[in-house]
Amino acid sequence: MNEFYQKDIISVKDLEKPQFEKIFAATDRIIQMDPNERRELGRGKTLGYLFFEPSTRTTLSFQAAMALIGGTSIGISDVSLSSTKKGESLADTLRMMSIYSDILALRHSLDGSSRFAAEISSKPVINAGSGTEEHPTQAIQDLYTIKKEKNKIDGLKIGIIGDLKYGRTVYSLLYALANYDVDIRLISPESLKIRSDSIYEIQKKLSLKESTNLEEYIDELDVIYVTRIQKERFPDEEEYQKVRGSYKIGLDVIQKMKENAIIMHPLPRIDEISTDVDNTPQAKYFKQAEYGKFTRAALLGLILNQNGF
Amino acid sequence: MQESNLIVRRIKDGTVIDHIEGGRGLKVLEALGIDGKDGNVITIALNVPSGKFSKKDIIKVENKFLQDFDTNKLAVISPKATINIIKDYKLVEKRRVFLPNKIEKIFRCSNPDCITNSNEDIESTMDVIDKTGLILRCKYCTRILDVNQLKYC
Repeated sequence: MNEFYQKDIISVKDLEKPQFEKIFAATDRIIQMDPNERRELGRGKTLGYLFFEPSTRTTLSFQAAMALIGGTSIGISDVSLSSTKKGESLADTLRMMSIYSDILALRHSLDGSSRFAAEISSKPVINAGSGTEEHPTQAIQDLYTIKKEKNKIDGLKIGIIGDLKYGRTVYSLLYALANYDVDIRLISPESLKIRSDSIYEIQKKLSLKESTNLEEYIDELDVIYVTRIQKERFPDEEEYQKVRGSYKIGLDVIQKMKENAIIMHPLPRIDEISTDVDNTPQAKYFKQAEYGKFTRAALLGLILNQNGF
Repeated sequence: MQESNLIVRRIKDGTVIDHIEGGRGLKVLEALGIDGKDGNVITIALNVPSGKFSKKDIIKVENKFLQDFDTNKLAVISPKATINIIKDYKLVEKRRVFLPNKIEKIFRCSNPDCITNSNEDIESTMDVIDKTGLILRCKYCTRILDVNQLKYC
């Protein structure tokens, strides 16, 4: 039996290298499959999505992924239009959604919300972003992007830049990379350094160095993973203003990078990557978003089909 | 009985919590929710000279026999405390506190953005990931928690 069948995807920490490799192989198959055959994977199945925080790519890519495998999606992406506004608890909302759908995707502002959801829901739950804690499907698409664009993950030097304190994609990516032999450089303003308590369990597995200066490592990185300074996570505006625009990737920075290095970003971007970088061979962030549709389709297909595909 | 235990009077029936790390006695009372409102006599001795530690605290709770569920809460605050159950002036049971693999409904997660600190109907649960170093991790938000910063539920 396929090990992902009816499983929750709550944290990247629950996955190891063999599981990542299986998802990547399934993603390759999704891309290559005959469309009619692909649509059989989700036929008659419904994805229920509950997005309690704004989202563009994750909601759309989950919907597109479900459509790709022949299923349908129902959900709430504006909480003000739901009974949450009337005071309904998250638990009751989840109970309702698990009646109406075969699989759930939840985005919520609180850490641990997806783990709680998995306890409540009678259907499998996929964490589509929980507070500043994790965003596991983003990490899966990030690793897949690196694997496809660099042909490997092991042996690479990966720089993660920007908001490392509040960026949930950063933590999920680090938990995922802890399964590989990589060198990590963490580059952030002093006030947005990684939360040491959140990487306690992987610190010994990762080769990590921290800096506030991008110049220090820019010429040695194979992957430059840029993140947005997230205004909405700051306790006050003044703190945000102190660090906004700390790092800007423009054509001048591209000149300093290794020729075959790639630039990734979980998106949305504000001004941390200038638009003139978009057409350079190094820019892979839109490709990364496209891969996200396929990795999510693979994951949905694996969770919904007992014998895999 | 050792001299230190005689600082406070012998009890007929109840529980004596001994060898509490000096200065932690009041925290122990808080963890156990013992506030004297039930009318039972509670005697507390703080900073008692001790051979085992330089100082220890002792708590005697009369007419109450504390169960494992209660006293294991102390494992995080004072792991070397001993529990003595007294019946008719005699010691009938002596046990150590035991640190379980999971600590439920005792401490609040110190991450204010954790789902356990919301209005949802959810109990705080912490996994003990290192019993020697006393490292706890919230089951829900998975943050590593500083034992000294934890507040009771």
